[in-house]
Order: sequence, then C-alpha cells, then structure tokens
Amino acid sequence: MLLETLLAVALLGAAVVFVAPNRIAGKLAFAISLVPAAISLWLFAAFDGSGNALLEGDLAFESQMEWIQFGDYAITWFVGVDGISLPLVVLTTILTSLAILSSWTPIDERESQFYGLILFIEANLIGVFVALDFFVWFIFWEAVLIPMYLLIGIWGGPRRKYAAIKFFVYTNVASLVMFGAFVALVFGLGDAVSSFALPEITDAMINGDGVQTALFGVDPTTLTALVFVAMFLGFAVKVPIVPFHTWLPDAHVEAPTPASVLLAGVLLKMGTYALLRFNFTMFPTDVIEPFVVPIAAIAVISVIYGAMLALAQTDLKRIVAYSSVSSMGYVILGLIAFTQFGVGGATFQMVSHGLISGLMFMAVGVIYNATHTRMVTDMSGMADRMPVAVGILIAGAFGYMGLPLMSGFYGEFAIFFGSFGSEFLAYAPVFTAAAMFGIVIVAGYLLFAMQRAVFGPYNLETEYEVTRAPLHDIAPMFVLLGLIIALGVAPELIFEMITDAVDPIIANGGDL
Amino acid sequence: MEGVFDYAPAIALFPLVAFVVVLAFGTYLPKKGALPGIIATGGSLLLSLVMAAAVASGEAYHETLYEWAAGDATSATGVEGVSFTFGLLIDPLAALMLVIVSLVAFLVHVFSLGYMNAEGETGLPRYYAGLGLFTFSMLAFVVADNLLMAFIFFELVGLCSFLLIGFWFRTKSAPSAAKKAFLVTRFGDYFFLIGVVAIAATFGTVAFAGDDSFVTAAETAIDGGDQLFGFDAQTWVTITGLLVLGGVIGKSAQFPLHTWLPDAMEGPTTVSALIHAATMVAAGVYLVARMFGYYALSPTTLAIIAFVGGFTALFAATMGVVKDDIKQVLAYSTISQYGYMMLGLGVGGYVAGVFHLMNHAFFKALLFLGAGAVIVIMHHEQDMWKMGGLKDKAPVTYYTFLAGALALAGIIPFSGFWSKDEILYDALIVGLEEPVIMAAYAMGLLAVFFTGFYTFRMVFLTFHGEPRSEVAEDPHPVGWSIKAPLLVLGVLAVVAGIANLAPVAKLAGVDITFLEHWLDGEYGAIEGLTYTAYGELLAYETSYIGSEQVTVLVAAGLSLLLAFSGAGLAWLLYNKPEPVAHTERLGSAGKVIEDNYYQDEYQVWLAEGLTLPLARAADRFDQTVIDGIVDGTSTASLFGSDRIRRLQTGIVTNYAALIVTGVIVLLLVLGFLGGWF
Repeated sequence: MLLETLLAVALLGAAVVFVAPNRIAGKLAFAISLVPAAISLWLFAAFDGSGNALLEGDLAFESQMEWIQFGDYAITWFVGVDGISLPLVVLTTILTSLAILSSWTPIDERESQFYGLILFIEANLIGVFVALDFFVWFIFWEAVLIPMYLLIGIWGGPRRKYAAIKFFVYTNVASLVMFGAFVALVFGLGDAVSSFALPEITDAMINGDGVQTALFGVDPTTLTALVFVAMFLGFAVKVPIVPFHTWLPDAHVEAPTPASVLLAGVLLKMGTYALLRFNFTMFPTDVIEPFVVPIAAIAVISVIYGAMLALAQTDLKRIVAYSSVSSMGYVILGLIAFTQFGVGGATFQMVSHGLISGLMFMAVGVIYNATHTRMVTDMSGMADRMPVAVGILIAGAFGYMGLPLMSGFYGEFAIFFGSFGSEFLAYAPVFTAAAMFGIVIVAGYLLFAMQRAVFGPYNLETEYEVTRAPLHDIAPMFVLLGLIIALGVAPELIFEMITDAVDPIIANGGDL
Repeated sequence: MEGVFDYAPAIALFPLVAFVVVLAFGTYLPKKGALPGIIATGGSLLLSLVMAAAVASGEAYHETLYEWAAGDATSATGVEGVSFTFGLLIDPLAALMLVIVSLVAFLVHVFSLGYMNAEGETGLPRYYAGLGLFTFSMLAFVVADNLLMAFIFFELVGLCSFLLIGFWFRTKSAPSAAKKAFLVTRFGDYFFLIGVVAIAATFGTVAFAGDDSFVTAAETAIDGGDQLFGFDAQTWVTITGLLVLGGVIGKSAQFPLHTWLPDAMEGPTTVSALIHAATMVAAGVYLVARMFGYYALSPTTLAIIAFVGGFTALFAATMGVVKDDIKQVLAYSTISQYGYMMLGLGVGGYVAGVFHLMNHAFFKALLFLGAGAVIVIMHHEQDMWKMGGLKDKAPVTYYTFLAGALALAGIIPFSGFWSKDEILYDALIVGLEEPVIMAAYAMGLLAVFFTGFYTFRMVFLTFHGEPRSEVAEDPHPVGWSIKAPLLVLGVLAVVAGIANLAPVAKLAGVDITFLEHWLDGEYGAIEGLTYTAYGELLAYETSYIGSEQVTVLVAAGLSLLLAFSGAGLAWLLYNKPEPVAHTERLGSAGKVIEDNYYQDEYQVWLAEGLTLPLARAADRFDQTVIDGIVDGTSTASLFGSDRIRRLQTGIVTNYAALIVTGVIVLLLVLGFLGGWF
C-alpha cells in the first residue's frame, strides 16, 4: 500500500493546503511535500522489483483490486513500479518539494490555492508513473492538465490566458487522439483481453496474436499501424516533438517559475515515458519497423531545429524552453535505437533532464525575482551582483551542455552509444552523428546567453535593486546540482535498475 | 616499489580537494586560497616524482578503479557486453607527463602569489578554485587508461579553460574570448565524441592498453580483413582515428581550429602559462601519443597529422612575426610549436614528439611567466613597442626569458634545439620516401626561420634598446615568488635537452638517448605501449642522404642555419636603441598576416553571419508557419467555441467534471460503435 500512501499524502496534502491560510501555505506545503519525497526515497532504497512492468516483470509495491466491471472489460486499480517508473517517481517527489521552496519568493497572492495545486499535480504525476491500468492511468494523465492550466492561467505572465488555453487545448486534443487509438486497439484485440490492465494488453500484443479483429472496416494489420501512429502523435505533442512543440515556449514563458520547473522537469517526461511504455513496449518490432527511419529523422530534426530556435531567443526562459525540445529529441533517438543503452540512456536522460531543466528554470527564476526581466538584452554582468545564483546558473548551463561527470553527459553518451551501434535503425551512425551536432549548438546558445546576461560590465535596464537571493531560493538549486553531479559520477545509481527494466523490451526485438 | 602505485589516485585528488576547500572557504583563507593550491600541487609533484621513480625501477601500473557504467551491447567485432570504467595507466609516458604537469602547476601556483595576490585582485578564491579544478582534471586526463575517461577530463579541462579565460568577467573581451575558446574546442570535441562512440560501438572497449584494448582489437580486425560499419577495417580505423583527431586539433589549437588560442590570452598570464601553453593545449598531442598504436595502424591518418602539424607550424609562425602584444607573439608561437609536435608524431617520431612536448612545456611556461613578470614590471602594459631597455632593470627576468627564447628559437645547445631537430630529422628521413611528408618537413623547416625571427624580435623589443615609455623607465619590482619559478624553468630550458641528445648519440656512437630508452620501456612499461612496439606497426619507409650521420648533420645544419638567420635578421632590424616597425614593408601580405589570414573573420561569419541568421529564420518560420497553423486551427474553432464558452467558468471542479463526463461519453460512443453493448 506504499504507493497508495504516496498518492494519498499528496492528495490529502493538497486539500489541506487548499484551505489553509495563505500566510502558512508555503511552509505547510513544503513540510507536507517532504513526506512523499521521503516515502519515494524509501521505495527507492527498498526496491526489489525486476524486469519490466508490462512484460511479466516482478513489480515492486504492487497492488491490484477490482474496481469497475465495464461490459466485458474489467477496470482495476492496478499500481506498481519497475526500474523505469521508480526513478521518475523519485524525480517527481523531489522536484515538487524543491519547486515549492522556490515558490516562496515569487508567489505572493492566493498562496494556499497555488500550493494546493502544486501538490495536486504531484499526486497526479505520481499516478501517471505508477498506474498500470489504462483507465486509471488516463485519469491521472488528464488530471495533470487541470492544475497546470490553472497555475499558468492564474499566476502566469501577461499572456497567461493565451498560453494556458493553448497548452490545455493542444495537449488535450492530443490525449483524445491517443485515447481513441488505444480504445480501438483494445477492441481490436477482441477476446484476447478482458481488462484494461497494461500488462495483459501488452501480453496479447507481444506474445499473443495481436490485433485480429477488423474495426470500422480497417484490417487488423493496418489498424495496428494506425494505432501506433495515432498514439505516437498523441504523445508527440506532450514530449513535445517538432512540429508539435509550439505550445511549450508559450507555456513556459508565461508560467510561474515553479510551474515551469514541474512542466519541464516532469510533465514532458510523461510524453516520453508514455512513448516508451506504449509505443515501444506494446508493439511488436515488425509494427514499429516501417516507422523507424521517420521517427529517427524527427528526433534529429527536433534536436537540431529545437537548438536553432533556442539560438534565436533573447528571453532566458524561452532559451531553456526550446532547449527542452532539443533534449527530448535525444530521448526519442535513444528509444528508437532499440538497444539497451539507447532505451536505457533515454530513460536516464528523462531523469537527468528533469533535474537539469528544473535547475535552469529555478536559476532563471531567481534572477528574474531580482531583476524583473528575463531578456538577455536587458542585463549584463549579473555575476557581479548575484555571484552564487549566477554560479549555479553557469553550472546548470554546463550540465545542459552535457559536461562530463554531470548527469546530462551520461544520458547523452548512453543514447549516442546505444544508437550508433543500433541494428534496428538503418543508417544509425549517420543519424547519431547528425543528432550529436546538438552538443555544439547547445554550447553556442547557452554560452552566448551567458556572455551577454551574466558576464560583462554590470548593467540592468529595469529599476530594481538587485540583492542576493535568500537561502530558500538557493538551497533547492544546490540540492539539484548535487543530484546532477551524483548521477553524473555514479550513473549506475539508477542506470542499473533502468536497464533491468529495459532488457525485456529489447528482447522483444528478437535477434537484436 | 609496486606498492607506491596505491597512492597514485592522490596525485589527481589532491588538487580536487584544494578546489573544494578553496571554493567553499577561499574567502576566509590567508592568501585567498593560494596555499591549499600550493600544498596540493606540491603534493602532486612529489607523488608524481615517486611514480616516475617507480617506473624507473622497472614498474608500471594499469588498474581499473571504478566502474562508471556497464551494460549489454554487442560490438561490430562481436564483443558482448561493455563496461565503461575509470582506471589508471601509469607508464613511462604518463609518468613523464605527470611530472611535467604537476611541476608547472606547482610553479604557476607559486608565481600567482606574486602575480595575482600582490595586485589585490578581487575574486581570487574563484581563480585558485579554477586552477585546482584544472590541475585535477588535467592530471586525471594524463593517467586515464581509456578513451572515454580521457574524453571526460578532456572536456573538463575545457570547462576550466573557459572559467579561467573569463576570470576578468567584468570586461567585454574576456567573456567573449572564453566563449570562443569553449565553442571552437567543443566543435573539435564533437568529432572526438563521435570517435569515442564509434570506437566503443566497433570494438566494445575503449581501453588504451592490455589484451582487450581497442588498439589490439583494431589490429586484429585489420589482419582478419573484417568489415566494420560497411567499411573495411583499415578504412574504418582511419575514419575513427580522424574523428578523435578532431578533438586533438581543437585542443592543441591546430589549423583550422587554432583561432581560439590567441583570444584566450585575455585570461591572466599565469593561466596562459599553465593552461594555454604547457598543459591543456598539450592534451591533444598527448592523446595522440597515448593512443599512438591506433594511429600507427593508419598511414593515412598519420600523414594527415604530419601535414596539419607542419602546415600549422609554418602558418602560425608567420603570424607571430607581426604581433605587437608580447602575449600574442607567444600565443602564435605556441600554436606553431604544437604543430611541430604533431609533425613529429605524424612521421612516427614518437620519442621526438614527446621530447618536444616536454621541452616546450618548460620553455613556454617560462616565457609566459617571464611575460607575466614583464607585465608586472610594466604596470600591465603588454605592447612591446612601449617597452625596451628592461634588460638591466630586471636581470633575472631577462636572463631566464633569454634562456627560454634561445630554447624556443632552437639554438644549440638549448633544450628546444634538440627536440625540434629530432622532429625535423625524423620528418626528413620519412620525407625522402613520401612526398607528402617531404612537404610537411619543408614547411616545418621554413618555420624555423620565422621562429628565430619572431622570438628575437620579441626579446629585442622588450628588453633591449632604450625605454620607450614612462613605465619602462620606472619598472615595478618583482618578488621572489615570481623570480623563483622563472629560475627553475630557466634551468630546465637550458638543460632539459640532455634527456635525449639523439644527434650526438648518432654521430659519436654513444648511448645517451635516455628519453628514448625511457619511452621504449627499458625501465617499467606496459606491453604494447613502447616505442619499439609502435615502430613495428608503422608502415613508413625511411632513407638517408648518403649515410645516417650525413643526414643528421644536414638536418641539424639546415635548421640551425635557418634559426640563426631568423634571429640574425631580428638582430639587424630590432636590436637598436630606437627600433622602428618594419611591418609596412611587407605590403599587402603584411595586412593579410596582421589579420591572421582572415581565419577569425570567416569563423565569426560562420557563427554570426550564417548560423545566427539561420536560427532567426527558423524562429520566424516557427512563429509564423508552424505556430500559425496551430493558432489558425484555434481561430477557426473559436467561432464554434464562442457558443460554449460559458463552460469556461474558471472553477476547477467544473473542469474536472467536464473531463470525466467527456471521457465517459467518449467511451460510450466508441463502445457503441464497436458493438460493445
């Protein structure tokens, strides 16, 4: 029942904070958020699962009970974690606690609602990563949108309405596409499945005969391919993959810092996590095969095009936002490589990017708190006035560039190594080398931004007195930096459990 | 002595501890963090000497210490499973390099007391922390026993270089130079990383030494006639070797990625001495030496290395001729000298290349520190035309600088002569058989003339003649923390050549090539990593002009003649009480050289004239076309949604209810269509 406890604490905490007085909401929310963080760390320490959750692996902290019988299909409350989902759960709880800390300074109205929503998001994010029944999973998946919509729409910047609605509608439409496709898949499987439990569906797809029933006059083979494509597109918006990425910079720019931290840190990983869980685990490789080269091409385009867009920006937050598009491209490349290092590296990169982008958004937020601008053209020499915050920003920037012994390097290296030698992906070395050029562009735009904003003679275009950031702004960044370096020096801390869960997926590929 | 290797990790870890201590407490420490750095590098130096002694006593060390990551992957050659580790490889080459790096690092730390602390700089803890982190990374790079670990620390020294070049971040120029340095070397490292990934994916190992090294695996694959990634093994080894070489060219500032080094002079002169002359720039060349067995398998790669080296040596030397800033002259000289090392390695002169690496580390660190002393003396003036007459006012600086200059110019019997001569000799004997190498040799030889010229132009303008400015008449005194490192390096610049008096050995028939024996594993060595072992892999033919002795004399005579001519021309033109500039006499060629052959312009154009506009165009495309479609879709639906916008109440529960209702309705619809009920 540990996972239920985790969810319950976050949900109840959200409710409590929601009605608490504004004055204490921040501190209360932080205190409450430490409980899920502690539990998840305990889960991490006590993790005894093995294999992949969907492929007959031994789940950890599993619990399953009948919930609703829906015609021929059972909907079960089914949760559990494996080596892929657990690191993401830990990422979620830690990042939430830190995001709450980083909200103390900038959030000064309707605090109780703000912090309540943050905890509510946390609960749903955890739910997304632990749910193993499609229906339960989808509820969490959709429920994440509401609090994020409100966080952007209420506490956001000047164009918050536009950004919030765009975010909500875009990702929601994508979810509908994905939902429809998945339901079609379940119907297509016919009698082979009797519930929405993901392992059962996966088993029917991989070990069973797959889709046998024609639906709407579409033959089973085509139907399977269509479902694969529709689900891929549905998740692609969430990741986001070019060309479905335009909601992201708008949402990030308008979102308050803590919402950006969670958005980039965890929400984007919902997309890549779902791609891994659904598209690349449930479908036999012969279904995926025709799409391998197009997907790899999209991944490379995401990396390079995203990086080029980042290069053109002058808003620090937009730079980091676009660089997420670029980083997620690496993840897609790793997934499609279908090797242990590729898929494992992609999963590692999800965690790593969560930490690094979280750190970057926090650092940019701290500078914004002091200067009330994020435009690199409005400031220079910030290192002079905010040495610690800028120091962390630089460290985060180098993390983003994949500096060795920080987590980003291992994630990228594993992906590159995994995809270079991939036999599943045609022209693998060419795709890999092309995507790798991202490491040059990322250095270009981040260093260019640093040069203009934080170095040079001190100058600020706004009328604010710049002072050093308070400890509760700095401390969470140090925690993140510590984790980034820890994972960079000792990637096996999580890579071992990740590969353990990835192996069965790779084994699906047969002789790969 | 085998037990002493247990302490080897401490060589690198001492400076890391100093970094952490200084970063955390530097502001509160006496000397703002200089002392932990001095103690740490002093400790590293002592331990490095112990390691060298252990190697001299016949030992060597190759040990995996830590498994970084491991997993399943089948390499192209069929190796199952791969393990990425951190390990130590202390053989004659590494031991020598350890001593060089820790010695120069130690001396630079001491020198900094006089150079940085005495000047009341702000941000000194940041400076010493950077030096500590750099020394750690560099030493760890030197002892790395595999290519990935080498890459990791190769990148980290790049970070330190960025941080230290940008030390005076409140200026406009330093951050710009720091960015350029990191970006240009990153461009090289891009290829390097592809090379690492390719080698790992090909051979399933990245180890430098041992039975399962990628060098051995490559040899086996070539002998077996394997096909690797669609190429025959020989071609693939060449491709991957060239990819790794990208990193070398970036870091060792070879053409065309040399442009960052002159800009890097924006950093403190101590940093230039340590990082941008003696050690980090040497990392590239060291890497070629470290995996020389791999390059020896590919004659094409070697020839490219030699040609790039020879070309860079000449190309950079010509630019050094017209510079007015003392540090700029030294920067171009550094590029040129690393060109010689590349030339040496490229022609199979493993010993000669490493020999020059060692000598250059000493005499170039000396010259940079000497320039630093001059800058202190001159109250932060770097323009040589404002100097003059410092000879009598700062004798220690002058005579040590002169020793370094004689070594750099390659004047017998100073250290630089012996190693440069050996490189040119090795190039000549191969060049007599291979036209490409002959061309590389010719360029290297011609560069000797320019080297002699710019070196002594610098010496005469700085120290001789009459003082040409007020500060030159009233020099600032320098203390012993500045003079002592100069003296140590000055002695080394004079005598280090004794390590390998190859021409004397060949002419007199005496066995005094100590360095060659050292690198050939006559003391301790790791199997396969010796000069002889590399020689067996090399495919070069050599021949002599007449006999070996005659060739030795011809090579040495030619290079000495050119060195003296260059120095003599400088003496004629600039050793005057009131020297004048002669650059105009070069006409339009002079203009091209002063503008560095427009190398900076085209690279800046690539970044700012091409990539940036392209990025902006992509951004416009993104905003108008891609986002336009998204917004267009929403505008079209706005008409419809206008009717139902009353649903947008802004109340969470309403949204939740809507979503749940929506999901249920959708389920019902699909269920109905699917014949569910």
